[in-house]
Amino acid sequence: MNGLGVLLLKEWREMVRSFKLLWIPLVFIFFGILEPITNYYLPEIMKTVGNLPEGAEFTWPELQGKDIFVSLSGQYQFIGILMIVLAFMGTIAGERKSGTATLLYVRPLSFTSYFFSKWLVINAVLVASVWLGFSANWYYVHILYDAVEPKQALAFIMTYSLWIVFATTTVLMFSAWLPTGGTAFAGIFLLVFYPFIDTTIGAYWKVSPWKLPTYASDWFDPTLDRSHLWMSGGVTLLLIVLFIVFGIWMSKRNAAKTTV
Amino acid sequence: MTLLHVDRLTKQFGNALAVDALSFELKEHTATALIGPNGAGKTTTLSMLAGLLSATDGSIKFQKSDRRDVRSLIGFLPQAPKFYPWLSALEFTEMAARISGMEARHAKQEAKKTLEFVGMAEAMTKKTATFSGGMKQRLGLAQAIVHKPKLLLLDEPVAALDPVGRRQVMTLLKEIQQQTTILYSTHILNDAEEMTDQLLFLRQGKLVEQGTLDGVREKYAEPKIVIEFDQIEGARLFKESAPWSMTIEGRKAWLDLSDQAVHMNDIFSSLSAKTYNVRKVERQTASLEEIFMKVVLDS
Repeated sequence: MNGLGVLLLKEWREMVRSFKLLWIPLVFIFFGILEPITNYYLPEIMKTVGNLPEGAEFTWPELQGKDIFVSLSGQYQFIGILMIVLAFMGTIAGERKSGTATLLYVRPLSFTSYFFSKWLVINAVLVASVWLGFSANWYYVHILYDAVEPKQALAFIMTYSLWIVFATTTVLMFSAWLPTGGTAFAGIFLLVFYPFIDTTIGAYWKVSPWKLPTYASDWFDPTLDRSHLWMSGGVTLLLIVLFIVFGIWMSKRNAAKTTV
Repeated sequence: MTLLHVDRLTKQFGNALAVDALSFELKEHTATALIGPNGAGKTTTLSMLAGLLSATDGSIKFQKSDRRDVRSLIGFLPQAPKFYPWLSALEFTEMAARISGMEARHAKQEAKKTLEFVGMAEAMTKKTATFSGGMKQRLGLAQAIVHKPKLLLLDEPVAALDPVGRRQVMTLLKEIQQQTTILYSTHILNDAEEMTDQLLFLRQGKLVEQGTLDGVREKYAEPKIVIEFDQIEGARLFKESAPWSMTIEGRKAWLDLSDQAVHMNDIFSSLSAKTYNVRKVERQTASLEEIFMKVVLDS
């Protein structure tokens, strides 16, 4: 792969100098901390500012540490994925439109290296951010609630990380294929809205990458059958490979569309 | 020796024929100007040569290529080069060198030397986001030549620059021409007159004329003698008494030399025979701009 090292350095510099390396992990950590704190203090907050009539009482469910830990993935599913789409939709399409890609495309560039350099750096930052977010969450859950079994937590985060890699690969593939606007539309539909559809009408099928975040929580119940989780993981891996291959092909095919 | 052989190169976008069976050759260490109005197919031609666009038909042959990917032998500068704003000039030029196949240990050194050559020694560590148009053009030139290409393709290299920037870049290009072959598009005809061994005139994707500057000049020269008198009366009297057909415009008389046998000696004899009070006698040939109008717009 021609020039992978130099392209990796370029992508890394962009991450650092555009401050994505700072604010993306911070957003994930922020939500990681916010979730247990909000849940823990919610009854008191409601008591203080709720302005409830005298005698009215709320019954709060008895939450365990693992419930709070898993609920963070719900936050990440909307805000986190939306952030991924918006932050990376122009990764390839934007370079083509602005013309910055032109001076790369006229060189003996390997489009495999070009796509991979972006894929590797973006995933490294996002997966690290997810791990940092869940680690912060795990720590606060440990302080405020009961401890979450580390092995189960690790398995959960690893499964969720696979979903994140799938999401970034999808966004990158669309960015190689479509203009920035099209990437935003397709990415938001497939990664933010489609999971709701999959949850609503997806009772008829059990194997789907969109079910991975839900299946990830199965790790906390050792009695559950995990065959669907493994199969969904396999399908997700397969789709990631296919999307990468398609993304590389589209990067090359659309190189002629770069602004000269 | 021929470096590049282009044969019946064609590019079609839908029903529009952007480049129509274009054939030409580039000799080593020459500068060739691709001249034509907007929409003539200059940028499309350069994009195909640079490997950005695939040709619909025809062929491009690099004579000295023993490698599969000829892009490492080409340097390309678009009309308005765009850079990653978060990279410095040195980082960008080094990256360009390395992607073009230069070893890492040489790339930084070569990038520094090239940036110094284009006059960016002071600015090489600054981010490109802060650069003026002239600086971007010079950086564009640096990234195009850092890997020592055999062929340098320049799309309107000075069109967006002010006169000072234009002069600086043209001076650099003349220096670069000593080491490489240059093909550049332009509609600034002064530049073409300044640095060219061959002219290619394009109109609606077709090559309508080609040749050396002298050859084209000779073909379309329409040499004229302009005599400027002190008084309008002098011009009128000269027309009445001289045997040649001429045009009078105020105090000036224009003799077209292309369609009549007129010798300078005869003109001077005729002028000295009477007292006309001549202010100036000048021989004029068609400027490249006039040739451009004739070849490109009238053809």
